[in-house]
Amino acid sequence: MDKIDISTILASAIHESKNHLGTILYQLEALKSLNLDKSGQKSLGKIEEGMKQLNDEWVEYLYLYRLASDGYEVLYDYHALEEFLDDQVFALAPSAAAKNLSLEFNTDESLTAVFDERLMTSVVSTGVYNALRFAQSSIHISAYMEDSYLVIAIEDDGKGFAQTAEEEDELLFQKNTGLGLYFADLSAQAHNSEDRKGYIIKASSETLGGAKLAIYLPQ
Amino acid sequence: MSKPNFSDKTALLIEDMAEARIMQKKMLNDFGFKSIEIAMKAESAIELLRSRPYDVILSDYNLGNGKDGQQLLEEVRHSHLIPNTSTYLMVTAETSTEMVMGAIEYAPDGYITKPFSQAMLERRLLKLLENKEQLLKVNKALDQNDYETAINEAKVVSEKHPALISRCNRIVGDSLISLERYEEALTVFRTCRKESRMPWAAFGEAKCHYFLGNIEKAETKFRQLTLDNKFFVSAYDWLAKALIKKGEHEEAQAILVDAVGRSPKNLLRQIELGKLSLEVQDNLMAEMSFRRAVFLAKHSCFNGADVYIQHMTSIVALAREGDIPSRQIDNFQTTLNKVHQNFFKSPEVRTEAYLLEMELYSALGDKKTMNQIEEVWNHDIEAGQASAPCASAKKRIDHLKKA
Repeated sequence: MDKIDISTILASAIHESKNHLGTILYQLEALKSLNLDKSGQKSLGKIEEGMKQLNDEWVEYLYLYRLASDGYEVLYDYHALEEFLDDQVFALAPSAAAKNLSLEFNTDESLTAVFDERLMTSVVSTGVYNALRFAQSSIHISAYMEDSYLVIAIEDDGKGFAQTAEEEDELLFQKNTGLGLYFADLSAQAHNSEDRKGYIIKASSETLGGAKLAIYLPQ
Repeated sequence: MSKPNFSDKTALLIEDMAEARIMQKKMLNDFGFKSIEIAMKAESAIELLRSRPYDVILSDYNLGNGKDGQQLLEEVRHSHLIPNTSTYLMVTAETSTEMVMGAIEYAPDGYITKPFSQAMLERRLLKLLENKEQLLKVNKALDQNDYETAINEAKVVSEKHPALISRCNRIVGDSLISLERYEEALTVFRTCRKESRMPWAAFGEAKCHYFLGNIEKAETKFRQLTLDNKFFVSAYDWLAKALIKKGEHEEAQAILVDAVGRSPKNLLRQIELGKLSLEVQDNLMAEMSFRRAVFLAKHSCFNGADVYIQHMTSIVALAREGDIPSRQIDNFQTTLNKVHQNFFKSPEVRTEAYLLEMELYSALGDKKTMNQIEEVWNHDIEAGQASAPCASAKKRIDHLKKA
């Protein structure tokens, strides 16, 4: 038998698992209509959030695979940023609420820009899931223009990038492998306009004091 | 403007998986739709769409063995089976999204990625209905082929709703093409491409060049589009068209063969390939394409006698080339039977079918059968069931008699 590329095998394995997860999520939707008591509803909510996050992570890995193997076709379209961020917050708000964190966004209502919606949806959710682990009380998403780059920034009031990096050495096999940042970086780079490419910046948040992940997309 | 609400809207749900279907039906029910109908595959969806319009169509991309959701959309949009005022929401998996969004020419109004919650679907549908509401006058004009009005209304909408600028620009560009105002359209598309890098703008630009007779430019741009987006199969069709205009039929055929390989279920493309193959006298390829087209035509919006007649024509052409395997004669008979069943009420079709049958038996050297067919044909003409041969048909008969 021909030797198959292991990353391709892993990608299709993830894909199958993700589809399976999707089916289970559908069934969960049916559970919601039962008259569960408060604690039942709470557990159900937690399970749903966990599965949704798992699903989003797998989506991220699939995109990551495609971006890294040059199999991703960037699909540019015009988007109103207020609408886009509103969508993201709508989808991620339950996850934040489950951890008693506030998740808000802010952008100029007239701001429109060109980017790949699916890719940035996945990048924002990756960024927010990451922030969920470190934030003390709030996470903020914003979008603005800077030197003809669209910037989408995710900020939190946690300890910031510097400290968390040190901690990770201690907890070698703890969750964060930097995969999320690598994914955000590849996604940003996949966006280009003439000679300019997208990129990311890791900084500390001036407004919230924690970490700030800024994604720069050329316009 | 009033907020859109579902209680006066009708919905069509197209989904092959029982579990998802039940869940989505329940969601739509909870939203309060006036009526919800269900199709399990594209073919039955077409039947339903023929019978009445729906305000909202929620279709899965993946529909089992038949046509997929995108092919269904292309077919019903191309044949105007659904009005522009209807909302088409495609349900996709991550892997299929790019096939849907890459389609460019016939994109759905929106897509939602599986799995989604009820709240997410409601939000997405409300948003789309709101957009449709804002574009109502534009879409009504488009449905009436009133492109002048569509352009004017689109300009009004883009002033009022900046988020819809891109969509309005596209409508303006496409409408200008329909009005054959190619220079103006070219300006619109060119500006859009520079500003937004959107593939539809590059596509529009290329089409303008094609219509303006700048074939070289059109060819380069269509070729670039095929390279940029491997899912944008329409670019191949247009590239082939440009090559035909340049007289490069064989290269055009090669392009279509490639395109058909990418989306073998597209009926119109199969027909194009068949026609082109007949023209370059690649009768084997022509027969194969038309055979597939006949197979695909049955449950489509394009189920006309033409496809069947052309399939038979290609087999006659093969038979004239020399010995053909008996399965080809079976293929001829199979398609002929379908013509008998579906189209023999038309005297013209009936005449063409008899003539082709005669031509086949003549090519096979079977004069006796040929003459028998002619007798039946003449009988039908007398009975008024078949039309009398027209001038070109008479020529073909004379040709047969001389052989």
